[in-house]
Amino acid sequence: MTLLTALARLLIFPGLLFAVPAAWFFLWLERKSVALMQERVGPPFMQPFYDFVKLLGKSTPPRSGVGGLLMRAWPLIAVSAAAGAVGLLPVLPSSGGFEGDLILLLALLELPSVCIIAAGFSSRSIFGEIGSAREAALSVSYNIVFLLAIVSIAASQHTFRLEALAALPSSPLLWLGVLAILVCLPAKLHINPFSLPNAEQEIYSGPLTEYAGPELAMWELSHGLEWVACTGLVATLIAPHIALAWGTSLLAGCIFVVLSVAVVLLLSVLAAATARLAIDSSVRFYWQCTLIFAVLAISSALFMRFRS
Amino acid sequence: MNILTMMWKNLRRGYQTLLFPARPKVTPRFRGLVLFDPSLCTGCAICRLRCTSRAIEFKAGKGEFTWSYNPGQCTFCGRCVEGCTEHALKEGRAEHALTQQQDTPPIYLVQGELKKSYTVARRPPAPKPAPSASPVAPVSRPAVLAASTPPGGDSQ
Repeated sequence: MTLLTALARLLIFPGLLFAVPAAWFFLWLERKSVALMQERVGPPFMQPFYDFVKLLGKSTPPRSGVGGLLMRAWPLIAVSAAAGAVGLLPVLPSSGGFEGDLILLLALLELPSVCIIAAGFSSRSIFGEIGSAREAALSVSYNIVFLLAIVSIAASQHTFRLEALAALPSSPLLWLGVLAILVCLPAKLHINPFSLPNAEQEIYSGPLTEYAGPELAMWELSHGLEWVACTGLVATLIAPHIALAWGTSLLAGCIFVVLSVAVVLLLSVLAAATARLAIDSSVRFYWQCTLIFAVLAISSALFMRFRS
Repeated sequence: MNILTMMWKNLRRGYQTLLFPARPKVTPRFRGLVLFDPSLCTGCAICRLRCTSRAIEFKAGKGEFTWSYNPGQCTFCGRCVEGCTEHALKEGRAEHALTQQQDTPPIYLVQGELKKSYTVARRPPAPKPAPSASPVAPVSRPAVLAASTPPGGDSQ
């Protein structure tokens, strides 16, 4: 990957120029579709953008010392990591990449979650600390399944290169992995039934309780970018098969967007249909139910690798 | 799977919530705000006695009385309307109580602002019926001396 290609991917497509409006669109789509399924009007189309601009115009509470500095740094790190994760997605065919970029993508996808945990504890708010503790417990639970699912797909193909993974032939193992990733996405994106880190009715905004103004705007943006990155990861794993079925790869970008929107709608249906689970139920779900499937997936991947 | 069916029906039906000041249609037996007609009231204060939530206040003065109604305290039980022999009280069909707080802007009805306090002149005592008098006696209409909405809400 040349420097120019890398910059184009990070800044234009699927990077910031595409990802920021897409983040606002996905946030709106999720809220609107959940509202319509609950017989409510829902927000207008531009609402996430208006929220962002309004928050940028507000002032932040004065903070001093290392704690204040850290509280200002966490949202910026989260936005950078989420934007970098979106930029790494191999959306367009032969868009370049490097060996091991899957590991970088996984790290960047995990970084916003780590930042949220740290931000909650930095804020010294009781609600923030409870939210961070919940986020940490949830993160430990779903990441096992999430990482095992991706590693099983990668291990079966002897590569940690995203572009190679995006061009995988369709196999039961791939679909099992995609299913496992889909099961983890509600927890990663804090939507029902795993929305307990930011359970509004219980702990206000959880780790983000003490945030306001531009810092909160950055958190909102990082959350939207997480939506783009996570749904985009699923879309890139599925997209080649549909593109091949249509007989062309020129529509790869369009298919990526359409598939991402479809995943957002799927998650919205899940969010509207379920209620929030308690922390013990959430942890039990990932450790007892889905972990079995993830272990099956990675063991079958390793078996396939040793056979070949 | 029932929840998915329900959500699909909701999606097809469209949203059911309304933007303020649009109002949902109410059932025929809906009890809204109590409406007061000072021209019919005789000042018997039965409504105040029947009001269990103390939403109605009645102050008797010399030659006049003041009838006050606190919508924030009213439970819309309808006992005052039932007990009013002169039919001076009515249950509003479309008028909702917008708020439970007293120090909020006054409640607006379709026909204008709700008057929460009325000062009404007492009617002169009805003349004793004379045997040679005409069968239809002239009805005296009370004069409304003041009708106001206190800015800070009514006293408890």
